[in-house]
Amino acid sequence: MKIFDIRQRMLLAALLPALLLCLLLSTAFLVSRFKDIDEAYGMHTHAVARQLALASEFGLFSANGQQLQTLAHGALREPDVRGVAIYDRGGRLIASVGEAFSAGMPAVASAVQPVSSEQDLADVLTQTVYASDLSLDDLYEAASSANQGQAVSLGQVVVKFSLQSVTQKKRDILLLGGLIMTLGLLFGAVLALRLSAGVIRPMVRVSDLIESIGHGDFAAAARVQAQTPAHDPLHHLQDNLMHMSDRLANVQQELESRVAKVTQDLREKKEEAELATQAKSRFLAAASHDLRQPIHAMGMFVARLAQLSHAAPTRQLIASLEASVHALQTLLDDLLDISRLDSGAVPVRIQTFALMDLFERLDQNLSLTALDKGLRLHIRPCHAMVYSDPVLLYRILINLVSNALRYTEKGGVVVACRRTSSASLMHIEVWDSGVGIAPEHQQAVFNEFYQVDSVAHQRRQGLGLGLGLGLSIVQRSCQLLQHPLQLVSRPGVGTRVRLTLPVQAKPADQPALTWAKVPASPETPQATRMPPTQDGQACPVLVIEDDDLVRQALAGLLQSWGFQVAQADGLSAAQALLHTGFVPGLIISDYRLKGDTHGLDVIVQMRQQLARAVPACLISGDTDPDLLQAARAAQLTLLSKPVRPAKLRSLLNRLLAVQRVRDES
Amino acid sequence: MMQRWRLYFIALAMGLLALPVQAQAPGVRVAIVSSQTGAPYMEAAQALVRQLESQGVPRSAIQLLNPADVASVPAATQATLKVWVALGTEASAALARARLNAPVLSALIPRRGFERVLRDSGRTASAQFNALYLDQPLPRQLALIRLALPQARQVGMLLGPQSWPEKPALIAAAGASGLSLRAVRLDDDALLFDALQSILADSEVLLAQADPLVYNSNTIQNILLTSVRLKVPLLAFSPAYVRAGALLALYSTPTQAGTEAAHWVLHALAMRGLPEQALEPADFEISVNAQVARVLGLTLDAQALRQALKRLEQRP
Repeated sequence: MKIFDIRQRMLLAALLPALLLCLLLSTAFLVSRFKDIDEAYGMHTHAVARQLALASEFGLFSANGQQLQTLAHGALREPDVRGVAIYDRGGRLIASVGEAFSAGMPAVASAVQPVSSEQDLADVLTQTVYASDLSLDDLYEAASSANQGQAVSLGQVVVKFSLQSVTQKKRDILLLGGLIMTLGLLFGAVLALRLSAGVIRPMVRVSDLIESIGHGDFAAAARVQAQTPAHDPLHHLQDNLMHMSDRLANVQQELESRVAKVTQDLREKKEEAELATQAKSRFLAAASHDLRQPIHAMGMFVARLAQLSHAAPTRQLIASLEASVHALQTLLDDLLDISRLDSGAVPVRIQTFALMDLFERLDQNLSLTALDKGLRLHIRPCHAMVYSDPVLLYRILINLVSNALRYTEKGGVVVACRRTSSASLMHIEVWDSGVGIAPEHQQAVFNEFYQVDSVAHQRRQGLGLGLGLGLSIVQRSCQLLQHPLQLVSRPGVGTRVRLTLPVQAKPADQPALTWAKVPASPETPQATRMPPTQDGQACPVLVIEDDDLVRQALAGLLQSWGFQVAQADGLSAAQALLHTGFVPGLIISDYRLKGDTHGLDVIVQMRQQLARAVPACLISGDTDPDLLQAARAAQLTLLSKPVRPAKLRSLLNRLLAVQRVRDES
Repeated sequence: MMQRWRLYFIALAMGLLALPVQAQAPGVRVAIVSSQTGAPYMEAAQALVRQLESQGVPRSAIQLLNPADVASVPAATQATLKVWVALGTEASAALARARLNAPVLSALIPRRGFERVLRDSGRTASAQFNALYLDQPLPRQLALIRLALPQARQVGMLLGPQSWPEKPALIAAAGASGLSLRAVRLDDDALLFDALQSILADSEVLLAQADPLVYNSNTIQNILLTSVRLKVPLLAFSPAYVRAGALLALYSTPTQAGTEAAHWVLHALAMRGLPEQALEPADFEISVNAQVARVLGLTLDAQALRQALKRLEQRP
């Protein structure tokens, strides 16, 4: 349905009654006028016919054709008469003027017979002429029998009348009626427009005003009110509107200022929080970097110390020292891992590989720990090919199993694969018969540094447990790999952690994994005890390190492994060494050196100066992802501080082996 | 004035009709049978009764009847009746059919009407069944023409088939009066104008005699119109024709007829019976249409003419 606006509605309301009234009046007027015209026409035609009949009586009686012709001519002069014919009683045409009659004399004896013929818009009236009946009231009359009571016909008068003038009159009246109606309607419309303008204009003005207020123009009310005369019908309404809009403006202003204030507060709070987070991050980075240097040095010192021959009690002491350093390094590794996971510096390399390899390494790395604790570690063989990042998955598993072993006092830990209902997914489950986790803690154990009270108590007793980062690392790694993690535990009974990961349906030929790059692999005792290879003994190694303590520790360790070591604290010292004729077979450089120089640049310049790609590796305490990227781009291995001596040793061996193969080729 | 007269007549008629009921007197001697209760009949009846009373006939001896009551008149009454008077053609026909013992006098009846009654009843005019005509005698009419239109010599007449046989007698009578009469026969009223034209062409006066075929309410207008146009005056037989445009009318009024009938009733009551021959009215009246007279350039006085005509007739 069409929606009329207020102006159209007003016009309609004013015009519709006027239109109806006009129509009704016009119709009544026209009907009445038409009736009058028809009546007048009828009367006129009948009168003409009757008069002619009366006048023709004697003419017909006397068969006076001339007189009748004159009469007919006279009748023809009457308005609307188009033809006259006079017939005698025998039907003979005595006189005729005007239009010819198509069908001769109508053979009808009735007094008046109108014959309408639509073709020529004419009426034909036939009037029988009777001899005048003169009542004689006579005694003789009563005796007469002939013609008693019967009128004697003398003939007939036929008159043809034109309907044209009547039709014309009707048309004129219709036109006049239409004109009057149109004028009336026009007048009504003009009047309605003029009158409604007085009502509509204020309404439209108020409507516009409300729209302006709706759009936030609160000043519009006062502006419009100032322009409105006091006698305006909507003056009072506008007054109220003005007050309303004033109040609205005040409220809005107040709200805006309040919102601005709150926003400001929030911004300040946010900035504070950001500053705090940055401070924490800075602190963490600085602390881990600064802690790394001495622990790194200490690790190397202890490794070197262990290689010396000692009395039994001293050896025992050194072993404890080594264990402590190891624990310290593990904690630092965890911190570093969390820091890297948080900073998004961990690259994910999804590939298909045999889970069994991972399990074997897990068994190698943790069976001794389990044995030490008197626990049974059972890893069920699994030949599935999984689709994941082997490095991250291994870190997840080793953290889970280590955690399980840590909190289990008796019984054992089982690692098993389990097929799921879906052929493309598989569970890896780690079961333990440990202390279990109360339901209220089950979610919180994944938070950083969170430990169940009893465990914290144990820790405070110096039992050498972790910082509580293991499960946190597990959870973040699982999120990174998009492997769902599920924990079910009953205190005092045990815990089951389930990891769900995609599996490849059929085993594919997959090259054996290399683990050289795994940075956080715990050392096997065998590695540290491995003697320096023959190849390395004569190899001159250039150690570039700005920290004297670390440099000396590294140099001492390398020398203890049988390397010939030259030391430099920066690029200039290293270049000076080269000038003395020293040719390094291997370069180990710290990343961050004195000034703005970086180990990466130093190695590049050394290689340029020596004009050969001397095997080299970087050691850094930073967890900066850009650094990792740069090292990878330069095809240099980056070792994070603290570097485990065994790890360093294996890396050096590998680098030298690669170099040897290259030299031979 | 006329209205009052009419009321009076009606009251009188009612009184007369009630008479036999009041007094079934054995002395009813005159029975008046009126064709209608119209004004001329009542006028005639009234004149008749008045005349009889004035001549000593008691009111109780006169009885007024309708034509339909004639058959139911008791024998006792019939026995005492001395004379029947029929007013009008209808009453006359009823009495003709009744075959009464007492003689019957028909009054207020045109000659043609009485002739038809006689024809229909197979009777002849006699002392037992006679009539006093309304029609004026032809000599009187011709005499009036001589009086009123002294220059006129040619008299024209339109005759219907019934009166046509009388043409020779008419011509003879006219000749006796010093006038020349010409008659035209009219068989069909459609030919009226032609007949009229032919007769008027040679006539100085048109003499109308009661013949319903020629003169009736439908024709009179055109006849008068034609005659006036041709400036031929018409002598008619009824005052109505004068009112319609005839110059002159010679006639007897109902009162005159009633009074004259009373004379013959008294004649019969006096045991002298009725005449054998049909009677013609003795008294008469003349009407003149002054307007028409003026048009024709005549000056006529009806009373003077009447007196003159009377004097003429009283001369031996």
